[in-house]
Amino acid sequence: MAFIFSKEKRIVYSRKISGFWEEFRRKKIGLFGLAILIFYIVLAVVAPWITPYDPIIKSRQAEDFAMPGWMTIFPQYRNYPASKEYLLYWNVEQGRDFITNWGETVVVEYKAQTMTTVDVELSTKFSYNEIPPNAFYFKFAWTASDLESTEYSLRVTLFTPEGENRTDWLMWRQPALKTTKGEHVYVESVNPFFRDMLGFEMQQNPAPIIFSQKGEYTLLLRMRFKPDTKTARCQIDLENTQLFVPGRVHGVLGCDDTGADLFSQLVHGTRISLVIGVLCAVVSASIGIIVGVITGYFGGLVDEAMMRLVDILLCLPFLPLLLTLVFLYGKNIFYIVIFIAIFGWQGLARMIRSQVLSLRETAFIECARAAGASRTYIIMKHLVPNVLPVAFASLVLSVPGAILFEAALSFLGFGDPRVPTWGKMLHHAYGFGAFTRLAWWWIIPPGLAITTLCLAFVFVGHSLDEVVNPRLRRRR
Amino acid sequence: MREYLIRRIVISILILWIIASLNFVIFQVVSPVSPVSGIINPKFTPEVKRKLLEIYGLLEPLHIRYLKYIRNMFTWQFGFSFNTMAPVAEEMSWRLPSTVLLLGSAMVATVIVGIPIGILAASRRGSKMDVFAIGSGLVTWGVPIFFIQLLFMLFFSYYSYIMWGFQIFPAGGMGTAPPPSNPLAYMADVAWHLAMPLLTLVIGSFGSWALYTRSLLLDALTQDYVVTARAKGLTERTVLYRHAFRSTLPPMVTMIALNIPGIISGAMITEWIFNLPGIGRWYLNSLMAADYPVVQAVLFIYAFLMIFANLVSDLMYGVLDPRIRVGARR
Repeated sequence: MAFIFSKEKRIVYSRKISGFWEEFRRKKIGLFGLAILIFYIVLAVVAPWITPYDPIIKSRQAEDFAMPGWMTIFPQYRNYPASKEYLLYWNVEQGRDFITNWGETVVVEYKAQTMTTVDVELSTKFSYNEIPPNAFYFKFAWTASDLESTEYSLRVTLFTPEGENRTDWLMWRQPALKTTKGEHVYVESVNPFFRDMLGFEMQQNPAPIIFSQKGEYTLLLRMRFKPDTKTARCQIDLENTQLFVPGRVHGVLGCDDTGADLFSQLVHGTRISLVIGVLCAVVSASIGIIVGVITGYFGGLVDEAMMRLVDILLCLPFLPLLLTLVFLYGKNIFYIVIFIAIFGWQGLARMIRSQVLSLRETAFIECARAAGASRTYIIMKHLVPNVLPVAFASLVLSVPGAILFEAALSFLGFGDPRVPTWGKMLHHAYGFGAFTRLAWWWIIPPGLAITTLCLAFVFVGHSLDEVVNPRLRRRR
Repeated sequence: MREYLIRRIVISILILWIIASLNFVIFQVVSPVSPVSGIINPKFTPEVKRKLLEIYGLLEPLHIRYLKYIRNMFTWQFGFSFNTMAPVAEEMSWRLPSTVLLLGSAMVATVIVGIPIGILAASRRGSKMDVFAIGSGLVTWGVPIFFIQLLFMLFFSYYSYIMWGFQIFPAGGMGTAPPPSNPLAYMADVAWHLAMPLLTLVIGSFGSWALYTRSLLLDALTQDYVVTARAKGLTERTVLYRHAFRSTLPPMVTMIALNIPGIISGAMITEWIFNLPGIGRWYLNSLMAADYPVVQAVLFIYAFLMIFANLVSDLMYGVLDPRIRVGARR
């Protein structure tokens, strides 16, 4: 600012702003709205730092429809666990001689000395102390390389805690193979192949049966080498062995139907709602000011034509038409903003027009005209500055409409699929079973967020209106 | 009066014509998607494509198509749906009543609830009723109606069903699957199904009416003629209803007309949420399936409903406001 204006102008503007602030400060409800607004703006700015997960991609943070983490304060959910990742480190059971590297990567270098079959066994123990889970994911990566004339096979077995009903479950196996191979192994308890491999019925969920007891579980990895010649050798690398047990509670706001974090989606949605609301309001206010000033100042045919256009626009069914346009031109956030703005300027244009109509007849405009000021000069220097405050208040008041419109659009499934919005959260909640699972944490937060953000704009806008609008000020 | 009526009707038809033309332009001239993309499979051979285009009359020049389109729209011939291959007008005829029922009852109920609250709020300024009116007005501004509806659905349908084994209100539909044969029972059934959509629509929008009535009435109560009426010794009741409220009616009627787009949008989302077999839900489904004849027809019907309501409100304005000279230019 300091570079643009001269010193005198800066003083004038700072006086105007401080005087305005003096008046605005007295409106309690306006300050309240401003506080909410600032909170949301801060939230939007810091969104990537306070949300732990990417809002769209990261699913399976916890169980599907996991409850919010703080629900454990209620007695019936007290023993609901959060997600837990078990990092597993292998210990050797058999065949210590072949192991050449420990740590993150375990390297097994097999060199045949005799023609007998050799087993290398690795084991790892972990204690599971929660209620039986509904799912688990077990993963690790392995590669077999430097292979020469040997057959090898791998299998992973899980042993339940010691006791009379100790059972072992085959988690995964690699049948005997003579070629090099490497893969990332994902064992998912929800996978039907896994269920069939363990011999469970169609309706059965293996996870709670396997982890039915609390205590120390043992994973056993057996590598079996069958040499063809005496010079047979093989190297097997093992990496990143992990067991992930998704929790029944998760984070601040729980999970959606894919186990994605809802809090991240909510916080990221703030950005879109704010940007869309403000952008739509600015665009439609600009159109409204331009149309209002031009029609009000010039009058005549332009005025008549524009006002008839406004009449027609007021007769259009906004939402159906908007849906059609978005459907035809693509679900793109940019188009959505433009389309909403196109349908939002009529009210402001009418208001500005009536203001300009009365301003046009005032003495100072007449003086300016008499002094030989051009039309552009009068419009830019006298009319626009005089209608700006009212336009600004009305701009703020038109933001909630735009936010609600976008929310409705997204809720009906016509939002931009690439961005997380509150409307889309509700759309998914409605479409993917939040109701039958009573997942209120998926329905209420986005709705409340829309409501509070809109109300904040309404509070601020009404207070602004009372400060700048002479008609309202007189009545007080 | 007659002249005014005719003028208004002519203007309304003109606006309807403009909207119908806009409809044509959107779908058939500037549309980036071919209007037959819903029915022509890319795997079709060129001859089949050509044959289909010929059947649909899309090979004719644009102005001929336009003239045919306008004639058909105004004679209620909306063509055939791509999806069901049934005449659109026929499909619409059984859907329109439920939408009109929902729209009409929502509008009437909103006005009936909203205006008295506004009157009470204005007549007792600063009372609890006043605060309630302002609060409900804020609800209208800030709460999406579909959020209220989702909440109602969650608690009154799903929670109550899972907790107590029955639904206070059904979650969707217009009636139970085999409709009751007894006409009274049938009406009760429809009312039970429509209760939640209606209730939520009213809760979501009566506030704007209360607030609007309140501010109009507050304006009116400070006018000179109200002071005169009070000075004449009339009862407060007479002053309020005969003098102040009477003068707020014309702008209120305009407000009804201006509210119709909002109510149509609200009813559309309501039909979507509660699975009501109205034209709003039909429209959304057809749009997603690129069933353009249906989409065009429904847009036209919506425009028709709105223009009709505007016309009625304009005429009522003339009746209610004696200052408007008959036939005079507004």
